Amino acid sequence: MSVTDEPTGRRAATVPTAAGSGARRAHGRRRRLFSGGSAGAGTVGLDVGALAPMVDMMTLLLVFLLRTYSTDLAPAPPSGPFELAGTASEDARKGGIEILVSAEAIYVNGQRLAAWQYVGDEGRIEPLYDMLLQARPKARAEVHADATVPWRRLSRVLATAQAAGVQQIGLVGAHAGAM
Amino acid sequence: MRLFRDEALEEADVRPTLLGVVTLLFLLLFFLMSTTSGQRLGVVDLRLAAPGQAPPLPHSGLVKAVRVALAPTHAAVEFEVATTDISAASTARELRRIEIPAHQGALDLAALTTAIDTVHRIDPSQTQAEILPEAEVATATVLAAVDVVRGPADAPFFPKVSLR
Repeated sequence: MSVTDEPTGRRAATVPTAAGSGARRAHGRRRRLFSGGSAGAGTVGLDVGALAPMVDMMTLLLVFLLRTYSTDLAPAPPSGPFELAGTASEDARKGGIEILVSAEAIYVNGQRLAAWQYVGDEGRIEPLYDMLLQARPKARAEVHADATVPWRRLSRVLATAQAAGVQQIGLVGAHAGAM
Repeated sequence: MRLFRDEALEEADVRPTLLGVVTLLFLLLFFLMSTTSGQRLGVVDLRLAAPGQAPPLPHSGLVKAVRVALAPTHAAVEFEVATTDISAASTARELRRIEIPAHQGALDLAALTTAIDTVHRIDPSQTQAEILPEAEVATATVLAAVDVVRGPADAPFFPKVSLR
């Protein structure tokens, strides 16, 4: 191969290579993703033209995942169905005591406290009240409630937390813009 | 000793470099997928009144109070409007009510949004609203109503929502 620097007319390099001649041949023929052995020595494997879109695709996929995925994993009860209600709020979680209210039971920081069938129909939820009284710090609690839990139960959880001295409560939902 | 040679080098093969980049991206992708979740969480903060805390002073604007009575499939927006001079010591109030009937057996969130927007336009300075859910209203409906009453983040209706 002979490469000439045109403005100066000086010969820069005269290095004949199999790879260079293969690339030149690739421009001339129909574009192929994989170069076969018949194309000549040094051209076996992926073609450069196939790698660039793959890098683009992977980059787009990564950006999409970084935008839609979250490292903030939602807690879930060990058994039974559980689905968070949807919300438009994008406010991030701020931590605190984690109260999970499923259709079957109440959990605090992953520990099952009481099943709804053994909790009275009205008033304070005593096991939750006792647990929250002992919790330190208890300035804030976040309630993860199943979408189907009725307000008569959820309101009792909120009232019990308030009675136990929790000053701030956040109701956690699944952001509607997520996957 | 010269750092750069005069003659041009042979054109390098970029395929190993590109393959290395793709491999790194693959590793990063699998790492991300194994440590993250497709479910993003949003928090609706509720402020709880401290024991013995006095109720807030009445709003000085035109709309004195906004309440949303929430049933499992329908709702009603009630608001009190001052009918006399808002700076007067004693202000007569008129209670107005907008009914939101059920739509296909569920709460009509679009109609609720329109009603809330209507009230907000009367007195944009009012920022508080109350939601009064009935006992059997599901958490999903409560959260949806809270979202509607709070409004979009860039142009909120009533950002201070109380649940009663």
